[in-house]
Amino acid sequence: MSLVTRNALIALGITVILAGTVALTIDYLNRARISELSNIENQISIDTLSLDTQFSLLEAAPCDSAASSTELTGELTDLGNRLSYAEDQLGTNNAQVTQLKQQYSLLEIRDYLITKQLSAACGTRPVTVLYFYSNAGDCSDCDKAGYALSYLRNTYPALRVYSFDYNLDLGALKTFITISKVKDSLPAFVINGKTSYGFTSLGVLEKQFPKGALSTTTPQS
Amino acid sequence: MFAYPFLFIAIFFESFVLVTLLSKPARDARGRAPVNINDISTLPSVAVIVPCWNEAATVAATCDSLLALDYPKEKLEVILVNDGSTDSTREAMSRFEGNPQVRIIHKENGGKHTALNAGIAITDAEFIGCLDADSFVEPNALREIIPCFADPQVGAVTAAMSVHQPKNLLQHMQNADYIFGITLRHAIASINGLYVTPGPFSFYRRTVIDKLGGFRYGHQTEDMEMALRIQRAGYGIENAPRARVYTKAPSTLTKLVKQRTRWTTGFIRNVLGEYRGLVGNRQYGALGVLMLPTALIAIASGIGLFFLMIFELARQTLSALQIRAGIPLSYSLLPHGSFSMFYFPASFYVLLGVVTILASFSLITIGKRVSKTPGSLALGLVSYTLLYGFVVPLWLLRATADVTLGKHRGWK
Repeated sequence: MSLVTRNALIALGITVILAGTVALTIDYLNRARISELSNIENQISIDTLSLDTQFSLLEAAPCDSAASSTELTGELTDLGNRLSYAEDQLGTNNAQVTQLKQQYSLLEIRDYLITKQLSAACGTRPVTVLYFYSNAGDCSDCDKAGYALSYLRNTYPALRVYSFDYNLDLGALKTFITISKVKDSLPAFVINGKTSYGFTSLGVLEKQFPKGALSTTTPQS
Repeated sequence: MFAYPFLFIAIFFESFVLVTLLSKPARDARGRAPVNINDISTLPSVAVIVPCWNEAATVAATCDSLLALDYPKEKLEVILVNDGSTDSTREAMSRFEGNPQVRIIHKENGGKHTALNAGIAITDAEFIGCLDADSFVEPNALREIIPCFADPQVGAVTAAMSVHQPKNLLQHMQNADYIFGITLRHAIASINGLYVTPGPFSFYRRTVIDKLGGFRYGHQTEDMEMALRIQRAGYGIENAPRARVYTKAPSTLTKLVKQRTRWTTGFIRNVLGEYRGLVGNRQYGALGVLMLPTALIAIASGIGLFFLMIFELARQTLSALQIRAGIPLSYSLLPHGSFSMFYFPASFYVLLGVVTILASFSLITIGKRVSKTPGSLALGLVSYTLLYGFVVPLWLLRATADVTLGKHRGWK
């Protein structure tokens, strides 16, 4: 075997090893991402249960615990951002991502229900947005709608936005969609119980909100 | 996905160079001692030709550096060839009139190859060197070159080039590129795969030039044409990694693109023209099966990756603009989200790119160590990383367009 051939074979081996190492590194980082997501999700799950339990314990005076709900929404937002990034990196068909999305959706529904209960008990009027999207390639305006909602959430911290993948295979979500009477014309928004479809511009979306809802403080009745 | 094969080839080639550097022929080359100049009678006679066309600013310093070479005066002659310069090159050369080591030729402009041939015609030296008039040599450079001719089958020897006093970022980038070239030339010479004997301080065996004929136009790359001719004739091209020579590098992007366009068009026209038979031909060993095909692929991949980058950039910019349309600039222009390792963009493409860059850094550092080139490389590595990938496509595209359209440009 000539020196050139020998060196070429060794170089090929090194290249394969390097490419393999890169692939393993990416796999490791993605696993670390999933693990981090799971940790966050577990923490939120505990927080939600705690809030739920707290709410049950303080039924006589539930409004005392209202502040903690807003804090949880911030954590949910962070988890949603990370989950969205992980979905971009790992693909929409990744089993772990799908499972995390299901858990995340359940947490969102739970938080939404608690918020509604608190609202009824305490007489508050939080502005809630249920946002239904699809990333199956059948919703050309979903990216724009998602970005506009991120802007609104960032500008108005009291706004409570819950995002749901309309096509996610989760019984509770399907029931939630049925109860909310949301059709598969996406993007869809349920703003304080009022449903609307499609996204054209931020201005049009803002008009869907109740008067005075978009302010930097939580509106009170 | 389009970029993966090219990144894979780049890593393979860099690995190949590293492995070849560790192989015995390269180790032996590094262990080669400089020629002993005490026994004058055994030393070969050497002539260095300096072709000049409007080089008034640097030719005197170039000639001074040659006269300072650590080599017996009676064995070394310098031939300055004024190739019809229109500036004060004639006056600059006149300083050396009367120096017994220097011969001066003034001729009508005919191109670099004619200047070199004019110099060859008046000397009987056993080894003939060339030095561009904007380059300067280290005193020990010739002593490093001569032992490389020990094998009678060696037809030419190349030196170790770096940039003379780089000042701006573009010149530092070229310095890193040149030092990368030192490693590459040293490794590839050990398997006889060189296809260019650069203008700065390459040497030729007189008998080989007599046999193959003098320099030709060679599509403005007479050094490449001569190297390919030497290889086709079955001779070897060696490298002396410690024979340091410093050359002036273009200071502006326009000049750099013009210079590299000339090199690239010369390569394409020579290799796909008269020397097409060498490409992929096992008879020519590493040159035929590895170096020439890899160089052609490098040109294609450079252009391909450039268009891919432009396409991706345009696509993502358009998408970002569409998504941000109607959102206040105070929000849309600022980055959002936390700076966490979680968001580290560890894609296969990015990490392979990082591996390629790190391997390049290793090869550049090795080149500096092997050649003992002085100076810091910090700015060179920074500018090489930040600029090189963006400027290379400029001359690759221009050269490919010129070859395709049959366009010929001037020298300077």
